[in-house]
Amino acid sequence: MNFRKQFTEGLLTRNPVTVQLLGMCSTLAITTRLFNGLGMGLAVTVILICSNVMISALRRVIPSQIRIAAYIVIIAGFVTIVDLLLQAYLPELSESLGVFIPLIVVNCIILGRAEAFASKNGVLASAVDGLCQGIGYTAALTITCVIRELLGAGTFGGGLLNHGEGIRILPEGLAAMQFVMPVGGFLTLGFVIAGSQWLMKHRNSRKEGKQA
Amino acid sequence: MKRESNVRYILRLSLTLLVITSVMAALLAGVNAVTAPIIAAQTAEKTRQAIAEVLPGVTGYSQIDFTDDTGLVTRVYRETLSSGGNRYAVEVAPAGFGGSITMMVGVDTDGSVLGVRVIDHSETAGLGAVAAADSAAGQAFRDGFLGQTGSVAVTKDGGTVDAITGATVTSRAVCQGVNAALACAAGLS
Repeated sequence: MNFRKQFTEGLLTRNPVTVQLLGMCSTLAITTRLFNGLGMGLAVTVILICSNVMISALRRVIPSQIRIAAYIVIIAGFVTIVDLLLQAYLPELSESLGVFIPLIVVNCIILGRAEAFASKNGVLASAVDGLCQGIGYTAALTITCVIRELLGAGTFGGGLLNHGEGIRILPEGLAAMQFVMPVGGFLTLGFVIAGSQWLMKHRNSRKEGKQA
Repeated sequence: MKRESNVRYILRLSLTLLVITSVMAALLAGVNAVTAPIIAAQTAEKTRQAIAEVLPGVTGYSQIDFTDDTGLVTRVYRETLSSGGNRYAVEVAPAGFGGSITMMVGVDTDGSVLGVRVIDHSETAGLGAVAAADSAAGQAFRDGFLGQTGSVAVTKDGGTVDAITGATVTSRAVCQGVNAALACAAGLS
């Protein structure tokens, strides 16, 4: 098991959002303020770790013919548990993410990791995979949130800082409303993906430079 | 290894799935048992706060039956004043831009709007969400309904309510909700 490698994969080289392009729907829909991105990232990370651990533990018991059905039952169970816990203990987050919490069930990242990793690897490695992929998802979401919030509303830390209003950085008149609308989501996500590609290229060429 | 018979094979598949489903169901039941009372208390508290806001100085109220032609009214609370009149807090859920907007509308003894408060919504942040926000813009929008009677509409539709910038659909939905609440309250008193 190689924690460093898994971490780099989750954060950059195999990032669920910017490289695998999974879970696009929630990524585009909720990234309008910092609080949403962090909250959604945290929820997905917790669910990902739980489902990965359980699926990995049961990987020799679940017959391959019914594995998708079994995975979905497990994932839906954990999503509902997280949904109920959020409603009870973090109602503000639950309200602001709305329907996108229950929709984590159909988020391809979770099923994708179950199929591609947890069903073939040990419990500990699967837990680490869940954590790393979750961190990668959270990072991509948070960056998108910060950009969209800054350009669309002119603030930073919406929902968290300054009584939920966020700290104003750009004057109100300068903020372009389009960035909190869907079109801004697509635009921003495109640039975030491009940025991560550039970062990976940059890393590779530096590595090659060292070898030469 | 001896090949499993078909019957045993199918049984094994079904039983595995049955066990997994039962374990998850048990887990869910456990979590639900812990969280259900907390969630119910929060919902009740939210409703109580909303009523207190749309009926200023409210002391006691009770939920009552109602008739509603619009299909938007979900609950009605009545406060009987010591002076004899009735004030109503009407919960309505008109369809907004991103889903239904649950809101509480306070109706005074003379059938005019006492207050509007959005309890739950999924409108666009920064646009439609202003209707629920504590910001100056949100407050100004909701204040536009105060004292209105009969039927309300945004200025674009020939009414007197200033719509939220860039959120005509949300503004219209809130008007629709207020109209349903006024009509419902008028039918009661």
